[in-house]
Amino acid sequence: MSSENDLRPESLMPLVYDELRRIAARYVSRERKGRTLQATALVNEAFIRLAAERPREFQNRAHFLAIAALSMRQILVQRARAREAAKRGGERERMTLDDDAAVAASGFGHTGGGPDAVDLLALDTALSQLAALDPELARLVELRYFGGMTIEETAEVMKTSPATVKRQWALARAWLRRAIAGDAT
Amino acid sequence: MTNSEERSVRWVRVKALFEQALERPSRERLQWLSAAAGPDTALFREVDSLLAAHESGGEFLREPPAVPPADIHIFPPGTRLGPYEIIDELGRGGGGIVYLARDHRLGRQVALKLVATGANPELRDRLRREARAAATISHPSIATVHAREEFDDQLFIVSEYVRGRTLRAELAEGPLPYDRTVAIARDMAKALRAAHDAGVVHRDLKPENILLSDTDGVKIVDFGIARMADDAVTQLTRHGALRGTPAYMAPEQLLGAVVDARTDIYAFGIVVIEMLTGHHPGAARAAVDVGPGKLMEVAHRATQLEPGARFQSAALLIDALEHVDRPAGPDRSRAQWWWEFHQVTTAAIYGLTLWPAWIARQTIGSTAGRTLFIVVLAAVVVSACLRLHMWFASRSYTDELTWVRHRSAPWIKGADAVFSLGLAAGGLILRAEHSSLDVLLLSIALGAAVASFFIEPATSRAAFGKNG
Repeated sequence: MSSENDLRPESLMPLVYDELRRIAARYVSRERKGRTLQATALVNEAFIRLAAERPREFQNRAHFLAIAALSMRQILVQRARAREAAKRGGERERMTLDDDAAVAASGFGHTGGGPDAVDLLALDTALSQLAALDPELARLVELRYFGGMTIEETAEVMKTSPATVKRQWALARAWLRRAIAGDAT
Repeated sequence: MTNSEERSVRWVRVKALFEQALERPSRERLQWLSAAAGPDTALFREVDSLLAAHESGGEFLREPPAVPPADIHIFPPGTRLGPYEIIDELGRGGGGIVYLARDHRLGRQVALKLVATGANPELRDRLRREARAAATISHPSIATVHAREEFDDQLFIVSEYVRGRTLRAELAEGPLPYDRTVAIARDMAKALRAAHDAGVVHRDLKPENILLSDTDGVKIVDFGIARMADDAVTQLTRHGALRGTPAYMAPEQLLGAVVDARTDIYAFGIVVIEMLTGHHPGAARAAVDVGPGKLMEVAHRATQLEPGARFQSAALLIDALEHVDRPAGPDRSRAQWWWEFHQVTTAAIYGLTLWPAWIARQTIGSTAGRTLFIVVLAAVVVSACLRLHMWFASRSYTDELTWVRHRSAPWIKGADAVFSLGLAAGGLILRAEHSSLDVLLLSIALGAAVASFFIEPATSRAAFGKNG
């Protein structure tokens, strides 16, 4: 039906959606059932945003993936902020502060846990700082973490070698971890 | 050098040292680093702290991010909102959260959907108007909107609570049978026409919004809600609620162009394809073979990317759906009825023939008689059973009928032949012994042979076509 050369926005949309679903699938690795719903909702939201951003501006797949990863990041951070605000009681009194319990009860999964659970807002701040220092590195983190890409895929998008990506990923992780821990103390 | 240039240069050095240090075995790193950094203690500390962070990194960033739920207000069961009491949350998405609630004034269960919060007056007016439009739709396949309620700045739509499985739940078990899909599609199209006549476009038609109940057939929920949700967009996106479902959104909808009846028709097409094939067509909306029947063609036309290429109205869609039944037109189905009749009658006659055959056996006596009888009995059993099996398959409209027929055919033919021959032999023997049964047996044998080798093929061809 539509070929790679068919770059009209209308034809791109289904392809875009397929691509986003693939990304979401990576979010669901080793997950419980509740998270699948979350990932789907996430994809839908990302898709709407991307659709609004005039898809005729996607030059190629790599370009699109980079933007998609950024979009995912924005959505996640925004949600995290909303939850923070809610928890601080900034919203109406009818808002249940016991969100987690209510959400868990309604079967929508949980917000992740474990000792290494990432504070999305802290990560976002740190990542922005990293971007000021080394934009390429920050982009790599976006692709790997928010876009869920493998080393090989990231290398392809960034036009470097997998070995380079591996090294840089190690550096980025270390830098971010240090930045977050530093803020926490 | 400016500050930022300095930082860049420094960073390049830090990176290089870090990467090189990683190539060393961990116990040598510190030593190597202090040598490589030389007098630059700041550099040393920088890289060292990075290495420390790396070594204690553990699972940091190795897991995909946890997705925070898209919150809006959550009402726990038991919350009272005016005359309504929240019983449970039914689901989220499509611009709000839906709750199951009890209307204590009327003593019935309703669906309560939170559409918007804290709207400004102008927006609120618009939402009220849209709610009113949605409430004017009256159709058996559309969940009735009962009321619009506002509690504390929050706008709710109260509608009929529909029990039943969503189409999504049905599809989880695989595609639906063709005839059922056609029936559902027809109900959907009629619902769309009723809504469009009232000036309401659904905008968010999808399997989650289509409920199937045993008693009431198809019911579509959330008519007009998507429009209201779109208008209340500032409130909702702030809270991260979902606005529409892209998989079913027509291209013009996604690109923010005008949305009209044809947008719903697009979503309709996608849903039909999903019912027929069991999954969403995605980018590859290639033709999938679902056998005879034109429903897939209708769906393809409905999902044309260009709105002008689709059906231009639900009424036209309904017309098209008139012609999508499986090719069992009036003549065809009558022929099939005759075929079924033939099967049952033949089986019955064969069975009844056992009685004169039994008498013949006794008359003939001896081994010959016994053998012939057993042979005829076997033929009757095989032929009658297989015919009844085919008859049953035909009545249940199973798709296996063709396979069953083709598999059974040789056995039935063989059994028929044996039956005829056995009876003929018996008749001839009786003839020799001047019994009156001979005519009966011979005529049955002849009749069966004629039926099996001349009449039946014709009936089959009429009912199922040349290669059927």
